[in-house]
Amino acid sequence: MTKKLLFVCLAAFMIFTVACSNNGNGGEEKPSNSTNSPNTNTNEETDKPLEKVTFTYFNGVAAAKDKNTNETTIGKMLEDQTGVNFKIEHLVGDLNTKIGTMIASNAYPDVMIPDAAIDKILDAGAFIALEELIEKYGPNIKRVYGPYFNQMKAEDGHIYFLPFSNTVGEYIPDPNINQGAFWVQRRVLKEAGYPKINTLDAYIELIENFVAKHKDEDLTGMVSLTHDWRFFATSNPPNHLAGYPNDGNVIVDMTTFDAKTYAADDNTKRWLSKLNELNAKGLFDKASFVDNYDQYLAKLTSHKVVGFFDYGWQFANAQNALKDAAKADPTQDDFVYFPLPVTFDGQKDQYLDPPGFVKNRGMGITVSAKDPIRIIQYLDNLLTDENQVLQKWGIKDETYEVDDKGRMFRTEEQIAKIDEAFNESYGFKYYSWNWPLYGGGSSLPDGNSAAPGLQPEVFQMSLTDEDKLILDKYGVKTYAEMFAAPDARPWYPSWGIPKEQGSSQQIWETKKDEITKKYFPKLVLAKQADFEKVWSEYLEAFGKLDTAAYEKWTTEEVKKLIEAAKQ
Amino acid sequence: MEHKPTMSTSILMLPKKPSGLKRFTIKLLEQRVLVLMSVPFLVWLFIFKYMPLWGWTIAFQDYKPARSFSQQKWAGFEHFQFLFQDERFIRVLRNTLAMSSINLVLGFVTAITLALLLNEVRKVAFKRIVQTVSYLPHFISWVVAASIIQTTLSPDGIINQMLLWAGFVEKGEEILFLGIPEQFWTIFGASTVWKDVGWNTIVYLAAMTMIDPAQYEAAEMDGAGRIKRMWYVTLPGIKPVIIVLLIMNIGYLLESGFEPQYLLGNGMNVDFSENLDIFVLKYGIAQGNYSLSIAAGMFKTIISFILLFAANNLAKRMGESRLF
Repeated sequence: MTKKLLFVCLAAFMIFTVACSNNGNGGEEKPSNSTNSPNTNTNEETDKPLEKVTFTYFNGVAAAKDKNTNETTIGKMLEDQTGVNFKIEHLVGDLNTKIGTMIASNAYPDVMIPDAAIDKILDAGAFIALEELIEKYGPNIKRVYGPYFNQMKAEDGHIYFLPFSNTVGEYIPDPNINQGAFWVQRRVLKEAGYPKINTLDAYIELIENFVAKHKDEDLTGMVSLTHDWRFFATSNPPNHLAGYPNDGNVIVDMTTFDAKTYAADDNTKRWLSKLNELNAKGLFDKASFVDNYDQYLAKLTSHKVVGFFDYGWQFANAQNALKDAAKADPTQDDFVYFPLPVTFDGQKDQYLDPPGFVKNRGMGITVSAKDPIRIIQYLDNLLTDENQVLQKWGIKDETYEVDDKGRMFRTEEQIAKIDEAFNESYGFKYYSWNWPLYGGGSSLPDGNSAAPGLQPEVFQMSLTDEDKLILDKYGVKTYAEMFAAPDARPWYPSWGIPKEQGSSQQIWETKKDEITKKYFPKLVLAKQADFEKVWSEYLEAFGKLDTAAYEKWTTEEVKKLIEAAKQ
Repeated sequence: MEHKPTMSTSILMLPKKPSGLKRFTIKLLEQRVLVLMSVPFLVWLFIFKYMPLWGWTIAFQDYKPARSFSQQKWAGFEHFQFLFQDERFIRVLRNTLAMSSINLVLGFVTAITLALLLNEVRKVAFKRIVQTVSYLPHFISWVVAASIIQTTLSPDGIINQMLLWAGFVEKGEEILFLGIPEQFWTIFGASTVWKDVGWNTIVYLAAMTMIDPAQYEAAEMDGAGRIKRMWYVTLPGIKPVIIVLLIMNIGYLLESGFEPQYLLGNGMNVDFSENLDIFVLKYGIAQGNYSLSIAAGMFKTIISFILLFAANNLAKRMGESRLF
C-alpha cells in the first residue's frame, strides 16, 4: 500500500518536473522570437501604416496589474487613432536584478522606464537616440519638450529618453502638500487655538505642551523615518529649516550658486541638537532608529504620534488611511496630519518644489524595438491637447463636466465613481503618468489644469467640512497656500543630475550615508552633556570624505544647468 | 591520490590486481550503468558550476555590461587592492567570521542537545508536538521573522515590558536592543537558533535511529543510566554524521547569511552587523561595480576551499570519517 503511494508520488513529481522544464523552455524562447523578427516587421508596417501592432513596455517605477493598453477605455481610443497597443509589464521584485538580466541577455522590451537603473541602461547603450525621429515624426514632442532639449542631451549630445517633469503652459501649483513639511495632528492646533507656527522652537513647544497636557494618553512627541534609503527623511530637514528646497545633499547659494553640502554644517548640528533635547525630555521615539518603513507607517496611524517631518508622498498611505477614517467619522479628523511651514528662525520657507526638471528619469525606446517610428508617432500623438485631456480627465460628461465659463470640473458622483477599480478599467491608472505628458503643474491653453488633481474646482470638491474649517482658520484656500511660493531654480532638483555608475560622486554619497546613518542616532540618543563630544567624533569621521571634490562637481553641474536654461 | 583508500578496499575482493588502463576499463565496463546514470549530473555540474568560472575574468577588468570580452578594459589587481585596503573590509570580515562561528557552534550544540533529549522522550505524542513546534520557525521567511524579532525587542515590545514589570528598567529608560552594536551578535545567535534548531535536529534524529537497540540494552545491563547511555552510546553512534556536517559547514564559514543581517541591521549596529555579503551589495552591485563583487566572491571561494581541505585533512589525521 505504502509502496503504491510512493510510486504515485514519485510519478506525480516527475510529471511536475517535466512540466516545469517545458514551461521554462517556452519562456526562454519568446524573447528570441521577438528579437529575430524586427526586420520583417518594419517592412510590413511601412507599407500599411495602420495595421494593428502590439509593442512591449516595461515600467520599472509603478506597481499595477500587467495589462494591454487596449483593454482600457482610454487605451482603446488611442489604439483606434494609431493602431498601436502596448503590453505593459510592471516591475516585480528587485529593479536592478531585472534590468541586469535584460542587459546581460541584450533583450529589451520595445519601450521602457528603467527608473533608478537608468544609468545602467544608458551605460549599456540600450536606448536609441531620438533626435532624428523627433525631427521627422514628432511635431508635438518638439513643441512640448523643445524648451528642455538642451537639458535632455546626454554628454554625447544625443537625446535618449523623454523625462516626465516638463511643464506646459502656465504653472499651476499643487494644492496638496506632497513634498516636505513638518506635520502635526490637527487636534493639537485646535486645542492651541490655531496659532501661527513658523519656527522650529514654536513647533516643538506646541508638541511639548500638548503631550504635557495629555499625560495619560501615552503619546509620542516626534518620530522620524530612518529606514534604509528613506533615511533622507531624517537627514534633509536642516536644509528645509534653513529655507531651501530639497536639493539632495547640497544647499545651493542663491547669489553665488555654489553648492555646499550640509550634512556636517551648523544647520544639521542645530537640528540634531534639537532632537537630542527632545529625546532627553522623553518626547522623541527612540525606536525611530530601528523601525522599518512599515512600522513607521503603523505608528503614524496609531493616533499616538503628535508630529514629525516627512514628505507627503512618502507617508501618503498613512495619511490616506487617516483621511478615510475622518470621512467616515468626522471626530477622527483630530488625527489627520496638517502641514506647517517650519524654519529655524521664521525665515521664508521653500518647501514647495520649484518647477523643476528631473533629468535622470524617463521613457526611452530600446535597441530591441521592432518599429521605433510607430512608437514615436504614438508618443507624439499622446501630446496633443485633446489626448492629454483624454488621458487625465477622461471623456466629457462621463468623467468630467465643463461649465459655461469653460472651466472643467467633476461632479460628486463622478469623484465617487473614480475609485481604484475604475482607474484600472478606464485606464487612468496607466495613462495619467509614466508616458510623455504635460508634466506636473501644466495647464491647457484655455487655462484649465492639465491634471484634475491640480484644478482648484476639483480640489475644493474633495475637501471635507473639517478640512475647510482648518484651512479657513489659517485664512487659506489650499494647503499649498500655507507655504511661500517657490523661487526660480533652473537647476532644481540637483539630486536629479545624472551620476555615472561607480563614479567618485556615487561613492561619496554611499559613504556619507553610511557615516550619517551611524552617527545621527548616536547624536540624538547621546546624553545632552555628551552631544558636543559625539559631534566632534562625527566631524572627524566625516572629514575623511573628499567633500570638496563632491561640492566642486555639483557646483559645476549646477552652473552648467543655469547656462543651459538661459539659452 | 584521495581515491586510494576506497579503491583498495574494493580491489581486495578481486583475485588478481590488473594494473593501469586495463583495470580502469574493466571497472568502467562493470559499472557502465552507474556511469551512464551519472553522466547527466556531470554535464549539469560542468555547465552550471564550471562554465561560470569564466566569469572570474571580470574581477580583473573594469567590467561594463553589454560589451564584448575584447572591448573590456583590463584593470589587473586593482579591485582586489580596493577590497583589501578598505578599512571596512577587515571589520566586515571580522563580523562575517564571528557570526558564522556563532552560527556553527550554537547551531551544533543546540541541535545535538535537542536531538539527544528528544531521543529520550518515550511519549510519542509529546515528542511529535515538540518537534513540530521547533520546526515551525524554519518555515517563516526571514522578512517576517525579522519583523517579529524587531517588534519583540522594540522599546514597547514584550521583552522591555517584562523587564519593566520585573523592575529591571525604569519607565522611559527602555532598552533599544537593536541599537546596541555589541548586542547584535547575541540577537543574531538567538534568532538563528530559534529559527533553525528544530530543523537541524532532523538529521541527528535520523542518525540515532540507525543505532542498534542491542547496544542500549547491553549498556543498561551493565548498569549505565540515561545520561551514561547518551554519552557512551548515542553520541558515539552519531559521531560520523556530526563530523561530516562539521567539515561541510566549515567550508561555509564565510557565508554567514544575508537576510538576518540585512533586515535586522541598521545604522546604529552597522559596525557589528555588516558582513561580507552586505558589503558586496553596497559597494559592488548597488554601484554597478560588478568587478568588485566578483573579486570578493573569488576571495570567498578560495578561503572556503582552504578551510574545507584543512578541516578534511584534520579529520583524516584524527582517524575520523571524512568527506573525501
